[in-house]
Amino acid sequence: MSVAAAEAPPAAAALPAPRWGRLALTGLVALLCAAPFLLVLVISFGEKVEGGSWTWGLTLANYERFFLGHDWPNALSLVYPQRLWFSVWYAALGAAFALALAFPCAWAITRRSRRTQAAWLAFILASLSLSEVFVVMGWDVLLSRNSGLPAWLKALGVTDMLKDGGWFPLLIEWDLANPRDLKFKTSGFATLLAMTYIVFPYAVILLYPPLSRLDPSLAEAARTMGARPWKVMRTVVLPAVRLPLIGSALLLFVYLLGAYVAVTVFTPPEKQTLTVTIYDAVRGQTLDAPFGAAQSVVLLATAGLCLWAAARAGVRR
Amino acid sequence: MSDFRFTRRGLLRTGAAATAVAAIGAPALAQSRSLKVGSYGGYFENSFKQHVYPAFTAATGIEVESVTQPNGPDWLVTMQQAAMAGQVPADVSLYGRETILKASRIGGLLKPLDVSAIPAAGALDPYFVFEDATGVVGVGAMSWFVSMVVNPDEVTAPESWAEFWNSEVYASSLGVARNYSSNFLDVIAATFLGGPEALNSRDGIVAAVEKAAELKPNVALWWSAESQMEQAMKNGDVIGGTYYHDVAGLMAADGFPIASIFPKEGNPQNYGSWCLAEGSEKQAEAQAFMDFSSQPETQALMSRMIGTAPLLDREKTDLTEAEFAAVSGAPAIRPAFEAYLEHETFMKETWEAMLASS
Repeated sequence: MSVAAAEAPPAAAALPAPRWGRLALTGLVALLCAAPFLLVLVISFGEKVEGGSWTWGLTLANYERFFLGHDWPNALSLVYPQRLWFSVWYAALGAAFALALAFPCAWAITRRSRRTQAAWLAFILASLSLSEVFVVMGWDVLLSRNSGLPAWLKALGVTDMLKDGGWFPLLIEWDLANPRDLKFKTSGFATLLAMTYIVFPYAVILLYPPLSRLDPSLAEAARTMGARPWKVMRTVVLPAVRLPLIGSALLLFVYLLGAYVAVTVFTPPEKQTLTVTIYDAVRGQTLDAPFGAAQSVVLLATAGLCLWAAARAGVRR
Repeated sequence: MSDFRFTRRGLLRTGAAATAVAAIGAPALAQSRSLKVGSYGGYFENSFKQHVYPAFTAATGIEVESVTQPNGPDWLVTMQQAAMAGQVPADVSLYGRETILKASRIGGLLKPLDVSAIPAAGALDPYFVFEDATGVVGVGAMSWFVSMVVNPDEVTAPESWAEFWNSEVYASSLGVARNYSSNFLDVIAATFLGGPEALNSRDGIVAAVEKAAELKPNVALWWSAESQMEQAMKNGDVIGGTYYHDVAGLMAADGFPIASIFPKEGNPQNYGSWCLAEGSEKQAEAQAFMDFSSQPETQALMSRMIGTAPLLDREKTDLTEAEFAAVSGAPAIRPAFEAYLEHETFMKETWEAMLASS
């Protein structure tokens, strides 16, 4: 506490911000961040006009519909909590897979020469320019029956092998085949694949700085003392980058919570996420902005809760 | 090239000239009649700009300014906000029947029309002229069918929608529209429940949705964008389902394995109407446009150039049988549009729960 207090004045002196400047900045942040959120919050208490649009109001019906169903207390429906669960599930798995793949990549890049590192980073930065739409379009073709993976697997004889081996009923149950062919869309598999692919470059970019700052002599010292590579990774490298790793995971997780295109294209409806139903409520046939807003507020609260819990867990250890 | 240079003096001179021209041109512009007409963007809007609006301008002297509008009720939100701001983005908009019903319920969005100024609308089937408590507010523009499609290389054409429920042929093989209001419930009601009227009660809705649940194992793709289904048929990801009749015909003409079929129960027919915005000051021009659009020649023109079904009998137009079959067919299922609004939340939630269950 005393250290922080001692450090604070020089920092403030170094950047003398006039009072009106700070006020303007606060106002700008409030306008850009708080105002839209407040609007969504207020709309979420609005009332739906059946067969029409909606009006301002002060009802909790939208939240009740989210957690208990539209017909509560006659019937309980958990459609929307289920959608929320899938939002969290895909985002968490997508972030975890992307980090698991990006870690060795970023690690390998930091071991290269300066010039090679720069080339790799430029390449990965360039791939960031691919939006979700492009990525999804690309995988849509790659997973298609006539032009993609199913066609190649058929040509290689894998499809017939699986058919002869009696695997097809199981694959159909897993959403990965129809009676004639293997099929990869729509499925949870295709969704996770696309999501992982979308955030993979972000994961590499996020992990590269901490990994490149890591002092190589630490790992070398552990090696010379007889630790095997995996043990060095587990006891030296991973603990050293634990905080950046958690931070990256949270960032990717929050980013993927908002994934929309990948879900609409690749996810079967029973596994779709809240983003789809939010859009549907606000811009779809029912013009039910209050219910869409209520769903958004719940999604936002969940994201905040996850961040808070993960941050606490990360700091405590 | 050297004398074509931007100099400050040159720019001033040009500016002065332009101002002078504008001053002379202004009264002439004010006198010319114009109309802002909305239509769904892309190919659809382009076809209107290329084929329909010029013919209208030639016939009446009224210029048309094309406005891109979405196909769905969210245009109502835009119009509502614009009305509050005191300006309309389009004088005439194109609305589906469900959207007009919704606009009519919301109120204050559509301006009643003087039917005597739209004589050609009298020849249309009365179903396509929409009247609410304030008067006639919508005149049919064109219609389209969402029909049964199959891949003829993979399966023989079904005679009934009921065949789609056969898992031995169609397990994980169909593409069906995802939206609860895409009229698939009307298809189910027409096939199994005696007609779309069955959807007017909660029990009927539940029965139809339960029937849809039985189809789930056969649906590989619940499509939300038209292009998704197009790609899925082209790529062989699905071998049948629901899709637009006219686009299926165009795809087949391009050599893709797709056939649009009218099974014995028929296909749902939806239609778009021209509606005048409440704040518009162009009522006379709008009515002239609606009259032009209702004429048999214009209906035939739209069928040929845009692929929409005419709103009057083929005999009243000069369409050949082949031209007519490319855009229309029989029987037509007329969806239970009122039910979609009367039981809006119930229907949507029952449908969503069906989709969410595995």
